Amino acid sequence: MRPSQVEIDFGTPPDTPPRISSDFEEIPYPSDHWAAANPKQEEFLPLHYMSEDTSTRRRVARGPGSPGGFMRDDEHEANIHYDDEGKDVYSKLRPAKGRVSSGRIHKPYPPPPTSISEFIAQNLEHLPPAIYTLLSCWTRFHKIGHSNVVVWDEAHFGKFGSHYLKREFYFDVHPPLGKMLVGLAGLLSGYNGGFEFKSGVEYPEEVPYVAMRVMMATFGVALVPLGWYTAVELGMSSWACHLVALMVLCDVAWLCISRFILLDSMLLFFTFTTVFFLSKFHNQQYQSFSFDWWMWLVMTGISIGCVTSVKWVGLFVTAVVGLYTIEDLWDKFGDLRMSKREQIRHWSARVVCLIVVPILVYMASFKLHFMILNHSGPGDAQMSSLFQAHLVGNDFAKNPLEVAFGSKITLKNMGWGGGLLHSHVQTFPVGSGQQQVTCYHYKDDNNDWVVLPKWEEPDYNPNDELRYLKHGDVIRLQHAPTTRNLHSHNIAAPVTKLNNEVACYGNATIGDFHDYWVVEVVDDVKQGSKVERIHSLTTRLRFRHQALGCYLRAANAVLPQWGFKQIEVSCDKENNPGDVHTYWNVESHWNDRLPPADVKFYRSPFLRDFWHLNVAMMTSNNALVPDPDKEDILASSPTDWPWMRLGLRMCGWGDNQAKYYLLGTPFIWWGGTISIILSLVVLGIYLTRQQRKYVDMDAAEWDHFLYVGKIAFYGWFLHYAPFFIMGRVTYVHHYLPTLYFAVLMFGHLLDHFIFSARWKEKTKRIAFGVIAFLIVANFWWFRGMAWGIDGPINEHWGLLWRKSWNIYNA
Amino acid sequence: MAASPSKTRQRRPAGQPSHTLGNYDSDNDDHVNSIYQARTSRSAFEQALDTPQASAAVVGVLTAIAFALRFYKINQPDQVVFDEVHFGKFASFYLTREYYFDVHPPFAKLLFGLAGWFVGFDGHFTFENIGDSYTENHVPYVGMRALPAILGSLTVPIVYAIMKETGYSTIVAAFSAIIILFDNAHVAQSRLILLDATLIFFMTLTMYSYIRFRKLRYWEFSVDWWSWLLATGFFMACTWGSKVNGILTVLSIGLAVLIDLWDILDHKKGHTMEHFTKHFMARAVGLIVVPIIIYLSFFYVHFAVLTHSGTGDSFMSPAFQETLIGNELLLNSQELRYFDTVTIKHKDSKVFLHSHPERYPLSYDDGRISSQGQQVTGYGHDDTNNEWQIIPTKALPETGRGRVVRHDDIIQLLHINTQTLLLTHDVASPLMPTNQEFTTWPKDDHSRHNDTLFFLNLVDGSEGDAWKSKSSHFRLVHVPTRVSMWTHSKQLPEWAFKQQEINGNKNPTEKTATWFVDSVVATDGTEALENLPSEVTGAKEPKKLNFFTKFGELQLLMLQHNAGLTASHPYASSPINWPFLLTGISFWTENDTQKQIYLIGNIVGWWTCVIALSIYVGIIGADLLARRRGVDPIPDEVRNRLWNSAGFFLLVWAVHYLPFFLMGRQLFIHHYLPSHVASAMVAGAVLSFILSDPINYPISIAGRMTRMRPSQYADLGVKGPVVVGIFSVVMFAMFIYIAPLTFGTPGLDGETVNAKRLLSSWTLHFAAKVVADVPS
Repeated sequence: MRPSQVEIDFGTPPDTPPRISSDFEEIPYPSDHWAAANPKQEEFLPLHYMSEDTSTRRRVARGPGSPGGFMRDDEHEANIHYDDEGKDVYSKLRPAKGRVSSGRIHKPYPPPPTSISEFIAQNLEHLPPAIYTLLSCWTRFHKIGHSNVVVWDEAHFGKFGSHYLKREFYFDVHPPLGKMLVGLAGLLSGYNGGFEFKSGVEYPEEVPYVAMRVMMATFGVALVPLGWYTAVELGMSSWACHLVALMVLCDVAWLCISRFILLDSMLLFFTFTTVFFLSKFHNQQYQSFSFDWWMWLVMTGISIGCVTSVKWVGLFVTAVVGLYTIEDLWDKFGDLRMSKREQIRHWSARVVCLIVVPILVYMASFKLHFMILNHSGPGDAQMSSLFQAHLVGNDFAKNPLEVAFGSKITLKNMGWGGGLLHSHVQTFPVGSGQQQVTCYHYKDDNNDWVVLPKWEEPDYNPNDELRYLKHGDVIRLQHAPTTRNLHSHNIAAPVTKLNNEVACYGNATIGDFHDYWVVEVVDDVKQGSKVERIHSLTTRLRFRHQALGCYLRAANAVLPQWGFKQIEVSCDKENNPGDVHTYWNVESHWNDRLPPADVKFYRSPFLRDFWHLNVAMMTSNNALVPDPDKEDILASSPTDWPWMRLGLRMCGWGDNQAKYYLLGTPFIWWGGTISIILSLVVLGIYLTRQQRKYVDMDAAEWDHFLYVGKIAFYGWFLHYAPFFIMGRVTYVHHYLPTLYFAVLMFGHLLDHFIFSARWKEKTKRIAFGVIAFLIVANFWWFRGMAWGIDGPINEHWGLLWRKSWNIYNA
Repeated sequence: MAASPSKTRQRRPAGQPSHTLGNYDSDNDDHVNSIYQARTSRSAFEQALDTPQASAAVVGVLTAIAFALRFYKINQPDQVVFDEVHFGKFASFYLTREYYFDVHPPFAKLLFGLAGWFVGFDGHFTFENIGDSYTENHVPYVGMRALPAILGSLTVPIVYAIMKETGYSTIVAAFSAIIILFDNAHVAQSRLILLDATLIFFMTLTMYSYIRFRKLRYWEFSVDWWSWLLATGFFMACTWGSKVNGILTVLSIGLAVLIDLWDILDHKKGHTMEHFTKHFMARAVGLIVVPIIIYLSFFYVHFAVLTHSGTGDSFMSPAFQETLIGNELLLNSQELRYFDTVTIKHKDSKVFLHSHPERYPLSYDDGRISSQGQQVTGYGHDDTNNEWQIIPTKALPETGRGRVVRHDDIIQLLHINTQTLLLTHDVASPLMPTNQEFTTWPKDDHSRHNDTLFFLNLVDGSEGDAWKSKSSHFRLVHVPTRVSMWTHSKQLPEWAFKQQEINGNKNPTEKTATWFVDSVVATDGTEALENLPSEVTGAKEPKKLNFFTKFGELQLLMLQHNAGLTASHPYASSPINWPFLLTGISFWTENDTQKQIYLIGNIVGWWTCVIALSIYVGIIGADLLARRRGVDPIPDEVRNRLWNSAGFFLLVWAVHYLPFFLMGRQLFIHHYLPSHVASAMVAGAVLSFILSDPINYPISIAGRMTRMRPSQYADLGVKGPVVVGIFSVVMFAMFIYIAPLTFGTPGLDGETVNAKRLLSSWTLHFAAKVVADVPS
């Protein structure tokens, strides 16, 4: 049996009639062709002629596209009888004969079909994924509009989508790509952005929430064919490909999370594409620098960029690609036959496609974000004052330009992600016990400070001559709502213990010389380093405490719960002139006696805004720590996930509403976790056996086994372990990208031990039947979790498989 | 790389015997032969230094200096310093035989107890505060401090011996030892009653024994081999028994053994599975069974010595407490029922929950106003105003177990004398505006019924646990506002008779908000007191408890508490700072004389170690890259030494250092000291690599079957002693410079302190103010 197509067009031999497609079989292989070099194709050789490759116990699995044909890859297995129980006394691993060490064999392109039936025959391998995709459409879209209320985090992401439609600047801890796609879905379905997306509120008539959900769910639909083709590219047998596709299709958690206006379907989609492109790229490894090679490499890079632009969790799958690439390059580095030029080409190709391209994609999403959101909105305060000034609807333009004594101002910290100097009536529970001073990102009256002269000088009198603020002036900053003065003293700050505490003390008449701050001008964006008078927005200032010599500073240290997780303000004893966390600028400025100056619109540079926003996101993300005082019923710890200790109620649990419970299909989750553990055990056993000179596989098979196992295990581990180190609060949906790798490992091990191993065809059929049945039946049992459970929950029988699930009302 | 031969050598063809004399390897190897294999080509100086006599002389001198430096003014200061507060106290508990609880295993503390007993300390002094005087209290503290000082001094010759056994020259071994010898951090840590000197001493001994054991690998199962294997196991248990971090030593030896076993398993070695199993079992016995027995025996002694009730009782389970003599707490414990009248005590400050008819003043000094309700305070003495009755909020059966108060029940507390119910509400407490005021409300007035409801939250309680007097610790959590009843040692002003303030802490799981029922004044009349213990007459016989039960409980508690040490500490530092010596710890200060002890290392030594570590990683990395490209820059023997012996040191360093990055507990720079010792050894290996082309080889003891290999000898020449000589002078100078901070004497004026503050991140006391100092 020979493959019916070959890769190379040898030209038409002279003096022969034009070929027809059936002639292709007659063309002899050139001696250096891959198919000739691979003795496995020669199945009619007598037994004594059998090469060592076929004498091993296992064979390299091929996908359904391989010459073995669809679901028929084990036909000639029966011919192989030679077996020494795996113990090869003469050699250890032999180097692979052929160049194909793993993955799917590069398949020659077929000649153009001449008839419909030929077309069908050629594309028969795409039939199962097409069917699965249709099934996936059904599961994802079925009853998608059933719950007409805002479910779970639709409250957030729907709202953010609305902001894009209204073009108002908002702030969120996630990068913008996913939310822009939500906005796009809204735009396409004709939503005007007017809905507030309050949790649990019924969608009004004019909000096309079904259309938006369908668009989000489309990403979820695509997971299934991606799972199938990834399995194919990873070289699994067609049995295993079916199982992987079935598992992706039938997991209730993936299904459930894809059906709402959330970011997770996009995150999952781009995670899947990254793995898919990576495996595609891997299979091009012997066609370096071919068009396909470049294409899949670039696609991998773009996919990385997209997945990180949806959520930072995407960095984990980036790390998988990184590990793969490092190992790949390490191999190349050791390949002494490769020329220097080729080495450099390989290295720079990786740098460009896997580092530069993703960064460009990531930055492009932010560029777009800034371009769309050009109106003032709720997230203004997270950005620098200059950035805010150019937003439409911002009132900074009405501010007087020059700051004078008696002005009411807000002070913006100029460090990355800095907030506004803030104080509130609550006091420090530690240290001095005086009124708290913090840095805060939301605009309210508690950010207002009045510039006043020293106590010794005559009180500020609105009728006196205007006295502009200059470099070196000694001032008092009075907190406008409480009339206390910004104060520092020789008491350790609550978090940054080496710095002095900054508090608010006294009132409009009581105070001391510890309230004095010396204004030091750093420079001015407009005026340069020679600053006559201090301008709002553009002048960079530092405040030195006159008595202690320390500098007012707000780095990204977060206060505990008593400080409402706001940013600590302290007084830094070290004079570090380059420390931007000690730089402040005047943001809002009110002074009736000064004319509103027409502040020109300063465009702050994109890179600066980009970095600023990212630092702010990082800071807020880190501040999302679990609150020990508050028991968060929705949160779960990473140890709860692999064995599905907890599910998550996604909406209210009333009798009259559709209830959604985020919970996986137990067979898939538990099977995945078991196979991850099993993979380590199996690896240990194989390594030990190798150490004792048992040969279970030849080098090519071993490479392939390791390659698929590594992708799955690295992926799982890198998506799971970091959650233990992260301080932030975690939820069960954080495990969903991780699950994909557990599923791949499940498929890989099933393939390795059942479908590509030397079992009887019948055994394989039975095993396949049992596993497929378990997956589908399990899914069918729990389908209501994703499709919505109507009526009183306690009337639905048999859902509580673990006592810890809070499905039923107690 | 300074040490690589001038021409990089190509890798030898595989399988070609490399050692045969006169083989026709490439001409590159000619100079290798001439340098590596001719003993006579070593400099005379080198030969003289490597004789046993010279080696003994060097180690003798080093040890003598070590003792001198560690014992110098060891009686200074005659006050309790830093963690002597804990470990001195624990030592005295061994002498008074009172039970205590600590997160660290008992071996090192037992040694201190022994040392204390040896010098005639009777345990009367309890090391309450840093700065308490020893001389005034007649504590023979010098004898107790001598123990770590001796162990710390002996660490120096052990480090020397490790290097020597590993095949380095005398001068390189001295180099590594000097890094430890003149290190201020090691000296400071060894002169005080602290556990680290013991830990490091046994850690180095473990390494030494393991290296001796490893060198005997061609004489497997010989008597010597077994002895060193068992010694490794024994010292490993001692390390682990000294301090929790000793587990890292166990881990590093474990990793080394696993690698070793993996090699034995390799079929190329030609061993049978039976042979492997024998090896495996030997190590299982020597490195698992023996250490566990030893480790358990420490605890056995610990429990055998501490038979009396003491400060540690309250950490333990009731069953455990009943094994301690004099623990009447438990012998008096009884289940509480509704309508019992009880007195309630705060666990930490031992005050009673108290109330009296006086009311809170309308407004406080700072202008805030109160509810003017009846005062609720903490009072230290017995008084009928301390009596409270437990009122149910649910229907009770007439009699029986249904009347027992249980975990998570909602109760009210009725003040007997004023017939008012305990209440808290959203009014700031007198002293702490962040906390809620506690007051009472007349029993008949139901208008504020909700505010009088409290959850009874038993600490570590689970559903259905009964509330017991004495033994049950509980938090009282207010139902509507979720604050827990809390008190702190601040006294209220005159209007409340200087009693302690009680307020509502916003953290419902606050650890210090723990109370217990001290006594039951009157019991619920409906029930016969059948479950009361018979009248306590005299001392009761303590119960017996299985040793393993006790051990298991204590071990679990130690783990929990270790993880729970997360409170911030001004001198805690993150691990990344440690190798660079960015921060130290202020151990002790004396204001009058401006003396202070500041734990900080010798900056020359530490930075040398950091540089050596990076050079080592650089060499290994460069070698890996070069070999990947088919270039073989380092001779095989030298590479093996770099990988196997220096690699072992690096492993020890990494295993003792990197896990701290994952730990959530508070960390201090002295956690790095074991790693620092290992890094000093890496530094020695790197120095040897830089100074000398060849190495001392082979060093393992040849067995009967071992193929003999040609010997080669390291030759550092004259430059070795010169380099190390200059280095030790610089080290010593730096040591002397920082010494006033290490020995705590003499006192320093502000300017000197500033001068000694070599890095701006060191937080020394008594520094002269750089800026104008204005009194606050």
